[in-house]
Amino acid sequence: MSTTSIRSWRAVLSDPDRYGAALADRNRALNAFLEIDAKRRPAASPAGAGEAAGAGEAAGPGEAAGPGEAAVPIAVKDNIAVRGYQLTCASRMLENFVCPYDATIVSRLIAAGYQPVGKTNLDEFGMGSSTDNSAGGPTSNPWDTDRVAGGSSGGSAAAVAAGMVPVALGTDTGGSVRQPAAFCGVYGLKPTYGALSRYGLVAYASSLEVAGILADSVDLISDVYTAAAGIDAMDQTSTWTASPPSSETRTVAFLSGDLGLDQRTTAGYARMRDAVASRGYAHTDVELSTSDYAVPAYYTIATAEASANLARFNGVRYGERPLYAENPESLVRAARSAGFGSEVKLRILLGTYVLRSGFQEQYYQRAQKIRTAIRNEFDSLFATYDLLVLPVFPTAAFRHGADELDAFQQKVADKFTTLANLAALPALSIPTGVFDGLPVGIQVMGPPHSEARLIEFARVIATELPFERPPGYEPLSTLPPSGSEVA
Amino acid sequence: MSYRSFVGLEIHIQLATRTKVFCGCRARFGEEPNTNICPVCAGYPGALPALNEEAMRLGYVVARALNCDLSPACEFERKNYFYPDLPKNYQISQFTRPLGTDGFIDLEFRRNKRRVKIRECHLEEDAGKMIHAGDQSLLDYNRAGTPLLEIVTDPDLEIGEEAEVLLQEFRRLVRYLGVCDGNMEEGSLRCDANVSVNLEGQGLGTKVEIKNMNSFRFVRKALNYEIDRQRDIIERGGTIVQETRLWNENRDVSESMRVKESSNDYRYFPEPDMPPFVATPEFLTSVDDLIVELPIARTARFISDYRLTDAQASFLCEERQIADYFEHAVRLGASPAAAAVWLMGDVQKLLNRSGTRLSDSPLTPDRFAQLLTLLDAGRIHGKIAKQTLEAVFDDDSDPQEIIVARSWEQITDPAAIDAIVEDVLRSNPQAVAQLRAGDARPKGFLVGRIMQATNGRAEPRLVQDILARKLDVQFVQVLSFGGAISGRRRDDGVIVAGELSQLIEQVVRDASLPADIRYEAVELGRFLSEEVTPNDWAGLIGAVDAHLSVGDAAGIVVTTGTDTLAYTAALLHWLFGGADVPIVLTASAMTGDAPESTHNFKEAVRIAMSGGAGGGAAVDSPGAVSVVFDRVAYPALNLKFERIPARAASTDAPSVVTPAAATPAAATPPAFRTWNPDAVRDAAGRSLYELQSLTVDAIAERLEAAVTKSFIAKVFPGMQASSLTALIDSGTRFFVLELYDSGTANVGETPFGLRRALEYGRRAGALFLCTSQQEGNVDFSPYITSHELWREGAVPMGPLTTESVYGLLLAVLLTSDSWDPEAVSQAMERAQ
Amino acid sequence: MKTELDITADLALLELTGDERVRLEAEVSRLLDYFATMDSIDVTGLEPTTHALREGNRLRPDKPAAELASADDAPSAESLADDILEQAPDLEDRFIAIPNVL
Repeated sequence: MSTTSIRSWRAVLSDPDRYGAALADRNRALNAFLEIDAKRRPAASPAGAGEAAGAGEAAGPGEAAGPGEAAVPIAVKDNIAVRGYQLTCASRMLENFVCPYDATIVSRLIAAGYQPVGKTNLDEFGMGSSTDNSAGGPTSNPWDTDRVAGGSSGGSAAAVAAGMVPVALGTDTGGSVRQPAAFCGVYGLKPTYGALSRYGLVAYASSLEVAGILADSVDLISDVYTAAAGIDAMDQTSTWTASPPSSETRTVAFLSGDLGLDQRTTAGYARMRDAVASRGYAHTDVELSTSDYAVPAYYTIATAEASANLARFNGVRYGERPLYAENPESLVRAARSAGFGSEVKLRILLGTYVLRSGFQEQYYQRAQKIRTAIRNEFDSLFATYDLLVLPVFPTAAFRHGADELDAFQQKVADKFTTLANLAALPALSIPTGVFDGLPVGIQVMGPPHSEARLIEFARVIATELPFERPPGYEPLSTLPPSGSEVA
Repeated sequence: MSYRSFVGLEIHIQLATRTKVFCGCRARFGEEPNTNICPVCAGYPGALPALNEEAMRLGYVVARALNCDLSPACEFERKNYFYPDLPKNYQISQFTRPLGTDGFIDLEFRRNKRRVKIRECHLEEDAGKMIHAGDQSLLDYNRAGTPLLEIVTDPDLEIGEEAEVLLQEFRRLVRYLGVCDGNMEEGSLRCDANVSVNLEGQGLGTKVEIKNMNSFRFVRKALNYEIDRQRDIIERGGTIVQETRLWNENRDVSESMRVKESSNDYRYFPEPDMPPFVATPEFLTSVDDLIVELPIARTARFISDYRLTDAQASFLCEERQIADYFEHAVRLGASPAAAAVWLMGDVQKLLNRSGTRLSDSPLTPDRFAQLLTLLDAGRIHGKIAKQTLEAVFDDDSDPQEIIVARSWEQITDPAAIDAIVEDVLRSNPQAVAQLRAGDARPKGFLVGRIMQATNGRAEPRLVQDILARKLDVQFVQVLSFGGAISGRRRDDGVIVAGELSQLIEQVVRDASLPADIRYEAVELGRFLSEEVTPNDWAGLIGAVDAHLSVGDAAGIVVTTGTDTLAYTAALLHWLFGGADVPIVLTASAMTGDAPESTHNFKEAVRIAMSGGAGGGAAVDSPGAVSVVFDRVAYPALNLKFERIPARAASTDAPSVVTPAAATPAAATPPAFRTWNPDAVRDAAGRSLYELQSLTVDAIAERLEAAVTKSFIAKVFPGMQASSLTALIDSGTRFFVLELYDSGTANVGETPFGLRRALEYGRRAGALFLCTSQQEGNVDFSPYITSHELWREGAVPMGPLTTESVYGLLLAVLLTSDSWDPEAVSQAMERAQ
Repeated sequence: MKTELDITADLALLELTGDERVRLEAEVSRLLDYFATMDSIDVTGLEPTTHALREGNRLRPDKPAAELASADDAPSAESLADDILEQAPDLEDRFIAIPNVL
């Protein structure tokens, strides 16, 4: 099945102008892309694809492209560097910034036969769970445009769900790949910390984040991950192991207790449990004693790191600058005050505060110790179980605006996703089906470098819980031949 | 009120790596602005640091050389602050676990050994450069990301001069290690300091940070300025504000740099973009491999292994390349002593003239060793060697080829010369007979004949040796240099300087002296001791130099006056202390015909002809030059002429001078004693200075200029600064200042304090060399006023007497090309 | 009298005015209260986790990027530097210029 669909996706890039127009057209209702250009960075010729710089064997998408066949389109979140494209991070600060270099994963994927076709929307600098906090306007969920696509990789999730691209890159600092994947009903992989190079990811919280992959099939998740993964000399926190844990799953733990899930999510969680049972896995309920502390620890660490990571945006070397400033300091103040949105300022202030002398021990250092406690708990959990299944988010996609979940509640709701970031573990969000019009994703976590196990598990579950697309969004790869218009 | 100052340094060095510390940009300077930049060092969104292994290694190398505890693992932190030249607006640095801690650096300041504690060494990244141009600031990030090692000392220093010495020693160290070129002007070595002043005994005061000191000189000036500024504030009852001040080198003042208090919170936290660094055994081995023998150890080894003087060893070890060159030449067969002399003298002069570095010059270690071997084997003599050296520089060819091509090679075959001498002696039986009978005069005639027979190419020393051997005689050169000993007493009792001949006649047939001695006499002047002029000294120096270089004597005796003997002896010591021929000065309070004079002269001849330096029983002379007076022999340095009762105890301090012993001057014969004999015995026994073949006229000219610029001043109660400033105004540049007993002087702000004179002198480029009026070293360390003296630039001369220091000063001024007080001071400090 | 928020904003080089200041002050204090819930877990004896993964040394050899092999279409070091300058809001020759009223 996937081979056929990959072949048809290759076909769309044989006419990039037509494809670009179709993307722009579909983007009007969703605002998934901030920039569309299907021609600027052609993928390497198939002959050169073997030279991909990954530590593992470079794998072509699906199967090797035949002679004359074009590349597979991929969307890239607009906080990941692609040379020649904008890199706005959905911030006014970088409104006119054109990126002079490629993220390592981007150059590896281009070498492996993928072609960037545009930059997708996000919450400014990755800070949010809705893609509403974007200087480029909100992204809407293709299942219900009154609702958010999730965040912060909302543009990537919506673009995949809406059939604009088969696969997209995102970043996951506290759930930013898995949560929008769950909201839009696509697969979303957050790899082990360091498994994908962070070089070229605009840093929000360096010790927590990793690039992630959103796709409409488990195979594509696997192919893209394999092509992009591996040690990168440009990222000394990148990791790779020659002896990953076995890809086989026997025992599955389910997070239990008072999880505070809405009806749809409760149903999705139950459906996952049934699928696991029907495929014959041994499964047990477990509780995590540290999970209540994940969100405050996460936000303490993330904002602390963010306060330093975002200090470089000062209007001096690039980016927005006020028309007039008396001296360098007033220039920097004015540039930052005008360039950053409210949520970014809030997180910078918090991060600055928790690092200040006199407060650092109480907040930042304590959070780092809690992180150790969480890691310890996962170490012992995965000594017993092969995988942990747990919700991605307590609710399905919520409505735009703060009426259903305000900014504070959205943060508290990161309680299931931030665990994997704090513990540096891989996690994969799997669509479980559509409930009352909205999809629900459930995530599965494993020990470090167990991506193959997560992917194998997802393949098995996919036979029980097939991928579904929102009505009216047939993939652009299935467009009628040229001449006929897209609806 | 007495105060104490505390100075600690923060030294930054750029490590000499090929690439920057966190990216692959070239760490290279002097290029177009913003050419060596990339997303990483330009602080681009998405870029990550990647630690350069070599930067880490060089950092560990320095930490090890500074005797630090090396961290088994270390970590980087982000230091958060905003500044336009800091691309990321945080600096990656080390805070909780720097790569090295708790080390020390040893230095010698004003002859005191000091150990300054190193608190830590940590690696960080440099910022870019910001240039102010009108209403714009211009940014260049080429420098951003250059590896920077920060070295923090404890506040163990007291004054600017000490800080300067530490920095110089530190620079020498990093250059030795090859980790940094140590150029302060270009910023590869930078220094900030913290300074506090407090009442003595009250511990540290309020700390003020001083920045923008862009040269060693500015460091010294800025720190002394700051110490004075704080002391003045405390004296006026004010309080010191904790702040950062910038040194304004144009106005010679520091200015407060206004900084908001909030910006001092750097919010350090671990750098999440790089894993902690673990110093593996392999890494530590690679650090060890880069450690070389360091300057202090190497200097000590040069002194002990090659028997060099302190001055020679420190000159050679100042730069690793020179020390390596020296050892290379020695391995190739050059004599260490000769190599040192030549490198410091003629070679250095040619390098200065051609503006090249030794390593780039045509004089390879191979050629240098060849030249010295030729000289040592006598195949060329000294003057030809100098010409050959110049030819090596001019023609870029081997010394061997040069002397062959130019027929410069001497006849050095003893057999060949022997035959010629034999021939000349046979043809001149009358001259031979005369010489054998005791008359030295025909020798000159015979030497002339021998040289004629060889076209002047016979090696002169060999000629002298063979001639003396064949005649079975040995020659002593007697130089008459005025004084009563060569004079006679007129009928009215007044002594007039006389001739040598009567003195020689008294001893020539003396049975207590070997019968084979032949006396060659040279009269250098008929004057009394007190009439000595620089011209006379020049004649003496020129004569001694000539005899030494021709090698026409087994010993040299100088008869001279008593009153200036301490000066003349010291001067000869500093110039010729390393000669292989004994030089004995003698004098007498009586005229030449008096028995006492004869005795002194006889003793002098005996020592001069005894075949070695300081052959006299009572002399334990550290060099070739010694003194005989009243039948007692003394070393040439630190002579004090006085009347003391117990002549036998001449090398000890007199116990108690009783009024009885002091009154009848005539009853107690005059004598010398040696001041600080132990220290004199330790003094180096080699020539420290090369006359560089100066003519007597040139020597006279230099000496006269030196004497004119010099002054000996004895500090006394009530002495006014204005006396000294008047001298400075009239051109005096070198003062020998005799301080009170323990090396103290009034340095208050009153007219009776010397402070104003010292300050005035420092600005005018005057040098104050301090001696003590009494027994004991000039050890400044325990005295507050002494600290003031240092700070104002006074240089303590340790255990040397005023006369010895004056002799040293003249020797230095005579043999160096410089009148620069700094250079002279350094040369003098090295000599001790 | 400066509030903690003002000091923090100053350190972060942010200017907060009017409504934004009021709103952010409320949100900051709400989140700080939330962070304070971390006090109820016992972390005695736990080392802080400062890095996601602790593996061996990762070091870069001291070789200029220009000498390392890179993808065929990668820009040269020179053109990369030029591209970086291209993004500068104000240039004076090859210097990046910022205002500084004397």
